[in-house]
Amino acid sequence: MGPWSAVLLYTQHGEQCLAHRAAWKLLSGVREGQTQVDTPQVGDMAYWSHPIDLHFATKGLQGWPRLHLQVWSQDSFGRCQLAGYGFCHVPSSPGTHQLDCPTWRPLGSWREQLARAFVGGGPQLLHGDAIYSGADRYRLHTAAGGTVHLELGLLLRHFDRYGVEC
Amino acid sequence: MNPQEEKVKIITEEFVENDEDADVGRQKTSRVQRRKRKKQLPTAGPDEMVSEKSHLGDQQEPGHEDPNADARPLSMPTRRGPRSLPPIPSASRTGFAEFSMRERMREKLQAARSKAESALLQEIPTPRPRRLRSPSEKELETEFGTEPGGKIQTTQQEDDSQSYSRVKFRDSVRKIKSKTPDEEELLDDKDAVDFLLGLDRGAEDIVAVRPADYESVHIRLQKEKELLFIPSRRTVPTYKKLPENVQPRFLEDEGLYIGARLEVPRTNQNIMENRLLMQEPGRRWFGDDGRILALPNPIKPFPSRPLVLSQEQDIKAELETLYKKAVKYVHRSQHMIGSGDPPGNFQLDIDISGLIFTHHPCFSREHVLAAKLAQLYDQYLARRQRNKAKFLTDKLQALRNAVQMSLNPAKTPKSLDTTRRAINEYKSEIRQTRKLRDIEQEKDRTLLKTIIKVWKEMKSLREFQRFTNTPLKLVLRKEKVDQKADEEAYEAEVQAEISELLEEHREEYEQRMDEYRSAHQQWKAWKKAQRTKKKKKKQGVEEHPDDEMEEPYPGEDPVKPVPPEPTNQAVIEQEVRERAAQSRRRPGEPMLVPELSLAGSVTPNDQCPRVEVLRREDVKRRSVYLKVLFNDKEVSRTNSRPLGADFRVHFGQIFNLQIVNWPESLTLQVYETVGHSGTTLLAEVFLPIPETTVVTGRAPLEEVEFSSNQHVTLDHEGVGSGVPFSFEADGSNQLTLMTSGKVSNSVSWAIGENGIPLIPPLSQQNIGFRSALKRADAISSIGTSGLTDMKKLAKWAAESKLDPNDPNNAPLMQLILVATSGESYVPDFFRLEQLQQEFNFVSDEELNRSKRFRLLRLRSQEVPEFRNYKQIPVYDREIMEKVFQDYEKRLRDRNVIETKDHIDTHRAIVAKYLQQVRESVINRFLIAKHHFLLADLIVEEEVPNISILGLRLFKLAEQKRPLRPRRKGRKKVTAQNLSDGDIKLLVNIIRAYDIPVRKPITSKFQQPPRSSRTFSEKQAASPTTHSPTHSADYPLSQVLVRPFVEVSFQRTICHTTTADGPNPSWNEELELPFRAPNGNYSTTSLQSVKDDVFINIFDEVLYDVLEDDRERASGIHTRIERHWLGCVKIPFSTIYFQAKIDGTFKIDTPPVLLGYSKEQSVVAERGFDPVRSLSEGSYITLFITMEPQLVPGESVREKFDSQEDEKLLQATEKFQAECALKFPNRQCLTTVIDISGKTVFITRYLKPLNPPQELLNAYPNNPQATAELVARYVSLIPFLPDTVSFAGICDLWSTSDQFLDLLAGDEEEHAVLLCNYFLSLGKKAWLMMGNAIPEGPTAYVLTREQSHYLIWNPCSGHFYGQFDTFCPLKSVGCLIGPDNIWFNIQRHDSPLRINFDITKPKLWKSFFSRSLPYPGLSSVQPEELIYQRTDKAAAAELQDRIEKILKEKIMDWRPRHLTRWNRYCTSTLRHFLPLLERSQGEDVEDDHRAELLKQLGDYRFSGFPLHMPYSELKPLIEAVYSTGVHNIDVPNVEFALAVYIHPYPKNVLSVWIYVASLIRNR
Repeated sequence: MGPWSAVLLYTQHGEQCLAHRAAWKLLSGVREGQTQVDTPQVGDMAYWSHPIDLHFATKGLQGWPRLHLQVWSQDSFGRCQLAGYGFCHVPSSPGTHQLDCPTWRPLGSWREQLARAFVGGGPQLLHGDAIYSGADRYRLHTAAGGTVHLELGLLLRHFDRYGVEC
Repeated sequence: MNPQEEKVKIITEEFVENDEDADVGRQKTSRVQRRKRKKQLPTAGPDEMVSEKSHLGDQQEPGHEDPNADARPLSMPTRRGPRSLPPIPSASRTGFAEFSMRERMREKLQAARSKAESALLQEIPTPRPRRLRSPSEKELETEFGTEPGGKIQTTQQEDDSQSYSRVKFRDSVRKIKSKTPDEEELLDDKDAVDFLLGLDRGAEDIVAVRPADYESVHIRLQKEKELLFIPSRRTVPTYKKLPENVQPRFLEDEGLYIGARLEVPRTNQNIMENRLLMQEPGRRWFGDDGRILALPNPIKPFPSRPLVLSQEQDIKAELETLYKKAVKYVHRSQHMIGSGDPPGNFQLDIDISGLIFTHHPCFSREHVLAAKLAQLYDQYLARRQRNKAKFLTDKLQALRNAVQMSLNPAKTPKSLDTTRRAINEYKSEIRQTRKLRDIEQEKDRTLLKTIIKVWKEMKSLREFQRFTNTPLKLVLRKEKVDQKADEEAYEAEVQAEISELLEEHREEYEQRMDEYRSAHQQWKAWKKAQRTKKKKKKQGVEEHPDDEMEEPYPGEDPVKPVPPEPTNQAVIEQEVRERAAQSRRRPGEPMLVPELSLAGSVTPNDQCPRVEVLRREDVKRRSVYLKVLFNDKEVSRTNSRPLGADFRVHFGQIFNLQIVNWPESLTLQVYETVGHSGTTLLAEVFLPIPETTVVTGRAPLEEVEFSSNQHVTLDHEGVGSGVPFSFEADGSNQLTLMTSGKVSNSVSWAIGENGIPLIPPLSQQNIGFRSALKRADAISSIGTSGLTDMKKLAKWAAESKLDPNDPNNAPLMQLILVATSGESYVPDFFRLEQLQQEFNFVSDEELNRSKRFRLLRLRSQEVPEFRNYKQIPVYDREIMEKVFQDYEKRLRDRNVIETKDHIDTHRAIVAKYLQQVRESVINRFLIAKHHFLLADLIVEEEVPNISILGLRLFKLAEQKRPLRPRRKGRKKVTAQNLSDGDIKLLVNIIRAYDIPVRKPITSKFQQPPRSSRTFSEKQAASPTTHSPTHSADYPLSQVLVRPFVEVSFQRTICHTTTADGPNPSWNEELELPFRAPNGNYSTTSLQSVKDDVFINIFDEVLYDVLEDDRERASGIHTRIERHWLGCVKIPFSTIYFQAKIDGTFKIDTPPVLLGYSKEQSVVAERGFDPVRSLSEGSYITLFITMEPQLVPGESVREKFDSQEDEKLLQATEKFQAECALKFPNRQCLTTVIDISGKTVFITRYLKPLNPPQELLNAYPNNPQATAELVARYVSLIPFLPDTVSFAGICDLWSTSDQFLDLLAGDEEEHAVLLCNYFLSLGKKAWLMMGNAIPEGPTAYVLTREQSHYLIWNPCSGHFYGQFDTFCPLKSVGCLIGPDNIWFNIQRHDSPLRINFDITKPKLWKSFFSRSLPYPGLSSVQPEELIYQRTDKAAAAELQDRIEKILKEKIMDWRPRHLTRWNRYCTSTLRHFLPLLERSQGEDVEDDHRAELLKQLGDYRFSGFPLHMPYSELKPLIEAVYSTGVHNIDVPNVEFALAVYIHPYPKNVLSVWIYVASLIRNR
């Protein structure tokens, strides 16, 4: 994890765009949530151990669910600022998966960087699309925001019935 | 020997020897020469001395080379290693360069050698090196000394071994050998002496001390120089780099491409070249041009990554970033009760550009005229723009053409009929249009005339007053017209009109003629008839003279119709021409176009009369500003601007209103300031709230008119306002003008940074919950105006018959045309995922059909039926269809009011309503319950501190007292992993008091009791307790009563053993299993269990049924019967929340218990303890608890909205905190939650409310009886605990009218209503919050009678004195009056031991005090309660239905027996029940019994009336069931059941059920 002292994680699960939502149906679980704040006291690693429990039913492969992550950091005044965006697809094979989701945050102009260093806050994307449609993302000045480690256990059912081999 | 020593020795002089080694190799060539020289030495005799001298170094060399010589052999083997390798590859030593190199090397070597020799020479005198020699060397040396011959040998040997390497040394050694052996001996001796003298020989064998070997830097450098090769930095000449005789060849010059070489510094290149030349002589590193081969420069001159654009340049929208400040972490509201959306910042831009007064008190007369003129001119301009006359003229023309066209039969293929109709329509339209046009033209003309007139007036006024005030100037521009054409057009127009008129007139004439003809015909006919009549009459005139008299009377006598005049063309023409002359411009007359300009000059002040100057000064003193009011709140105001001479004020200010709510009103207030005196409000201007489509930049400036009704009279030239004035000198023709004006402004919605208008969503206008999704939807947030829906618009246009040619409608028509024509057709769908369908596995329907998925979803949505559903089967086929049945049924029935269960429609509606309220409340709070605190998740046990530890230690030392057991807290179980059978209800029945006793009624009854006594073992076991009584009171030694207790819960029945006597003691524990509904043991489910625990007390009666007296000796044949005596009902929810219930309860005994009587008469005379004799009724002591103990759910911690004052809320919190600090166990209530979920201050609930008049009329003179009746009325309203209806959520308080409408509520509602009734009866009454058994925390009512206090239980209607020991209220927390709250701060809280005098501040802490006075809170209760009389017929019908249902139920419960109904008895009972109701179940027993006995003498009768409030059917059935009447299985038993319902106002029903069983006596 990055050098922040305390980190918040907002997780948004399987937030598909509207067209895809039809194919995937959330049976149970919460679509989005937020972890607790962890203040790493030893090392740089923040541990959240936040459970994600979701159950989907699908009628097609389009819009395979993915995890959108936003890491926030909390400073000593209890204020929060963005520490990174990231997203990763849910793996398509069953079993336990260790995922590493790298995150990044926009850097902004030098003035903004200076402001961020001293008074906190920081530039945030106005539109979330750039996080996962990265055609034009290279235009953005970004800074790495640490890696989020995810451990996902996946169960698939009846995929073979429709000719999907996992 | 040597090799052995070699191993011990450490060799340090490597460099020196290396040098020598190098010599050896290199000097091979010169060796010959040298030898020659050395050979010359011995031969040249005379030169010997010289050579000796010259070779002094050489001679001494062995001497001081001794150590070296000694060391040398030792170091031999190590030296051999390096030697075997060629130090420098000899192969490289060829050619020219090498030659010069060798030369240099040699020189260097020589120099180095001489240097070394001189250094060695210097070292000689020092003795230290000698001393450092190893002992073995000494031995060697001593050998030398002792055996000179052998020494030579060894030296020779030595020489042999070294001969190769040491050419020169050998030479010198030979010399020494031959010439100076003595010297050597000497030296050796000396050494030996040294050793013998200075050192212990033994130590020397092992240890040698040596100095650290050091070689000076110079030497080392020198040696390095010899060893290392440092390439020169000098440029290498090209010929060295190329093969010989090859000219460098430059490929680039030959036209071949050679990339740019990497830039390398020249020196580096040179060094490299030098090295390569030296190291790899093959020259393969050099190209044809003599330079080192090199790849082209790999570094690109331009960056391969695209240049990142700087921030200012265009950035795509999705990459935009926004710097956000670090935000304080606020709890996300996603789990909170939706308070709607976060307040957005919406913005309304109000642009106030200016203000124009159309009248102002300071207007001079000229101003008035000028304003009028300006207004007229504006009107003129507007009219000209619309140009209606022209349009109408065109239309007329078009219509005329159309008529012409349709008149032409060749061109109209339509039928004659339609053509005629069309022509008629056209004609009528022509007529109308012409009329309109004439009016318009006339208006235009009059307007023009008025303008000119006003201008003339103004001019004359200016002349008259000799000064001008206004710069207005009217110019009439004449537009020349072609006179001839004009005239022709005029004439043609006139002619056309005339011809049309003529035609019209002709038509009219014809029509009239037709009318006339028919009328004439009629008249003629009538005339004829008249004539014949007359004739007849004439004949009979003599007979009927009075007929004649009546004749002229009849009204139908028609006048002779006058034929219409034919139209006169000349007259019509005359008319037309007149009209044309009036309304139209004369032909040839120039068109007048007025133009108003401000070009005129205003007379300067000094040329004006004094009054005018005064006026002008007054105007200057005035200034105007506007206030902007948003939703009636002033949000901003404009600058104060002085009023100009032209009465225009320019503001030009734009106000950006940041708003949160949808605007309700926008008002501008016009204020005028005169000088430095105060401001006056001139007028209010109401601005329209802009459409959602009106955004900044698109909004046009609008003028909104205003006017004020103020009256101002001024003492100068100003005309004032509201006062009459006149232009004429004589004061006639008076005018009264009011101050008025126009504000030009524009109101629009601002546009946000990203182009989204900042408009509050439309849904905010009608308050409701909105999902966050809506915000994302652009359309709904911007809002669609009706104009954008083209289809609707077109439809409307078609329906309203819009004239497409009307210039007013032109833009609209254009829009519709474009929208409805095919070009701009927009499909109303958008295909986003085209191939989605093809790739789908299954269809949506199939997915939705899956039962498993459905179940999963419903479970996660926490639909009540599936909430906490445990495990869902894996396969669809394992899920039963019936799982969904209930759910679907509920969905279907949501709006259908079902009367089956409820019978009474009103209650059905109420139940439905309650259900809905419950659902909505639960849904609202379900999410809130997911909000956890840290303490919910992390259980952190307190770290024991020293005091606790100390106590623990002391406890260890404490004495063990097994006979004094201590109560230990039980472990609480969270209701999660429980299943059926895990939970048990433990009922410990301890004892009872004052059970009714049997009455010896008739002689017939005496027999069975006696027998029962005989056969009862119990009786024998405990005769002592009863025998004295028996013997005293009952000569027949009859048993008083043999009660036992039966506990029934969820249809499980347990009973105790039978005890004896009216004060039995059982002390038995009964265990009843508990089953939660649907096997759901979650907290919410447990809370909503509505089951009651019935504790019934029965009397066990034994009847001897032995047929034959003779068998009595040999057999026993008894029948056991049980008679119900009473019951205690405790709701499960109470047990659940209280965890345990412990206390003495009053047994609910039926008012009439046939065959039983209270023992008190008997008891009283025997002098039982006085307290008990005071009480009425029977009591039972119980202890009920659950095993294992369950954790009751906690109420919601959420804070609720409130409309209370913030200060008050703070005060309540403070008050509660203070109270909780002092007495944490006492209930302190200051705020409660009303039914809409808002926090309300509690005293608002208390207010005198009128009880039903009917109740007041019952006992007009007895206030106590009235109070009791009222209490009874309140108690008849069914009890429904809030905790059941709003499971685990909160306690909701409904107001009294809501309570009466719902007809259900818990203690608080009952208590509030009762308290309000008492207040209205003029009693002093308070709401008393406290703990009672079995309810737990509850509300009672306290009233103050003359001298004492009464405590009322609102749910049962009973009242208790303050000192009644059987009062269920056990502790008092606080008292609540209509205007204050008093908290009990006395030491005790039992009502027996406290003082209810609330005026004493030491005993009662009041909420409102001197520091916080009562602010006079308004009540939430209604002004008055309105009671409807209950429909008696409906009650009667309900009564019948209940009776029927109960009878059926009893028959159902007796499946194995025949149930016979005794009609006669039933009717008797039915008559009796109303009596009971009237007397409220008191003092009727004896009469009733007597009557019953009279009528049913032959029967053994047992039965009792039950009384309860009516809520629904199920409790009634349960109550009947619990009495166990149906359990009698005597073959010839008969039953009687009667139901009576007494209606009270407001649909409150009191239900009486009389159940009885009859057994015929033989």
